[in-house]
Amino acid sequence: MTERLRRPLVPVLLTGLFAVPLAFVVVQALANSWRAPSLVPQELGWRGFEVAFGSGGAVAATANSIVVALVTTVICLLVGWPAARVLGGRRLRRSGLIALLIALPLLMPPYLAGFGLTEWFIRLGIDGALAGLVLAHVVLSLPYAILILLSGFNREIEKLEEMASVTGAGRPGRLLWVSLPSMRPALGAAALLSFLVSWSQYGSSLALGADRSTLPIVMLPFIRSDPQVGAALAVVFLIPALVAVALAARSQRSPI
Amino acid sequence: MALLPAMALLATLFAGSLIGALKVSLLPLGGGPEDAGLDQWGSLLSDPAFVDALLFTLKIAAISTGLAAAFGVLLALALRGRGAGTRLLGALPVPVPHLIVATAAVLWLAPGGLANRLLGAVPIDVIRDSGGIGVIAVYVFKEAPFIALLVLATMGRSLRQREEAAMVFGAGRAQRAAWVIWPAIRTPLLLASVIVAAFVIGAFEVPLTVGPNYPPTLATYAFEATQNDVIAGQGRAAAALLTAGALAVALAAIAVGLARSVEGD
Repeated sequence: MTERLRRPLVPVLLTGLFAVPLAFVVVQALANSWRAPSLVPQELGWRGFEVAFGSGGAVAATANSIVVALVTTVICLLVGWPAARVLGGRRLRRSGLIALLIALPLLMPPYLAGFGLTEWFIRLGIDGALAGLVLAHVVLSLPYAILILLSGFNREIEKLEEMASVTGAGRPGRLLWVSLPSMRPALGAAALLSFLVSWSQYGSSLALGADRSTLPIVMLPFIRSDPQVGAALAVVFLIPALVAVALAARSQRSPI
Repeated sequence: MALLPAMALLATLFAGSLIGALKVSLLPLGGGPEDAGLDQWGSLLSDPAFVDALLFTLKIAAISTGLAAAFGVLLALALRGRGAGTRLLGALPVPVPHLIVATAAVLWLAPGGLANRLLGAVPIDVIRDSGGIGVIAVYVFKEAPFIALLVLATMGRSLRQREEAAMVFGAGRAQRAAWVIWPAIRTPLLLASVIVAAFVIGAFEVPLTVGPNYPPTLATYAFEATQNDVIAGQGRAAAALLTAGALAVALAAIAVGLARSVEGD
């Protein structure tokens, strides 16, 4: 009897604790008027989105965020794949130490990453450019990408590759038909996480992007000055996270 | 060889940012090498606001990480053996950016916010309070599920089997928790906690949105220094950020040492 009562308690509790508070941000974005003590808005409308995206600043910032996050993701996968492969193969001495060194940037304050790089980027002429943002985001995303890819490279994949090689598959064939398909879940997770880390970056972007702002930088002041506009920007800011949750749900339903 | 691109990229950018910040902290803006010195570090240490920021940062990091670790383990235990949907629900805040959680915190917890309207009154100030309760609340909401996820990864079938074996030998609930579950989860729990603590020490969008005007955290102190004094502030900001980074590294070193000494046997 108690067991039957307890089963649905956890999902209900989690919905109230996690999903409901976040869902109300969407309500706030659409609430043109929401005065206390009412728990529901008096008037719904698009004012938040109109103010947020009417002037064009937020549109450009969103575009910057998307471009920087995509380029960061591609670089992380291209550079992270060979590194994870070698580390995962365990043929390396001191691989633990190398993994530790790779994780080191995770400990660095993001603002420090941007702040310290500004000095050099000014000399290179890429301060305030998207390239500078990408480089700073790569330092903070690449460790995650490598650590996740690392979890994907295991003995099973090595065995499959050996089998393919015995049956006459060349290097490109092995990569295309064996390694990439069997690494798909890890690759997907690494891509998603790299994108999200770059997308959520605040400190490093603020230090670097003097005239090239990103979505979170445009959003922050509104949280205090005009919460509806802040919430409207938050809804757009939330989209990649929702995509991540949807993809995770799908991959759990169809295990590979 | 295959490691080279990743290591070169990380080493160049990581070392570059550290050296860049160190240079700014030692050299006044526009000065030559002969002007280099520890003046800016000296002015930092003699600034009472910096000392307050250091203590406030340590307090926030310790409380947020401790609570996130405790709730994270409880969440992991609650999610254990549950279906995919419930697990997903429990991990919901993980991909959500901190700034959105801060937005939700203001909506719910600020004076006149939804919690206030629901309950009639909230007994304490939570948003922008000098104790930093709002900041801690946002971090616990965001990081407890993250820690739960990493802990849950170690609670697989083999742990279940070891528990059953312990049960066969007559181990009770508390004994199983102490001798089977705890040894399995303590190392991932420690490493996840280090990542969380390092983030809390270094990040500043959360204290900037829901934190008090004073005291600042080390990161907001650095940010304010650059805003208030464009020239001299740079050096102090760099020194404060390097202090925050050093704190995080020291913490990680202690944790790794601890994990080694416990697992080393």
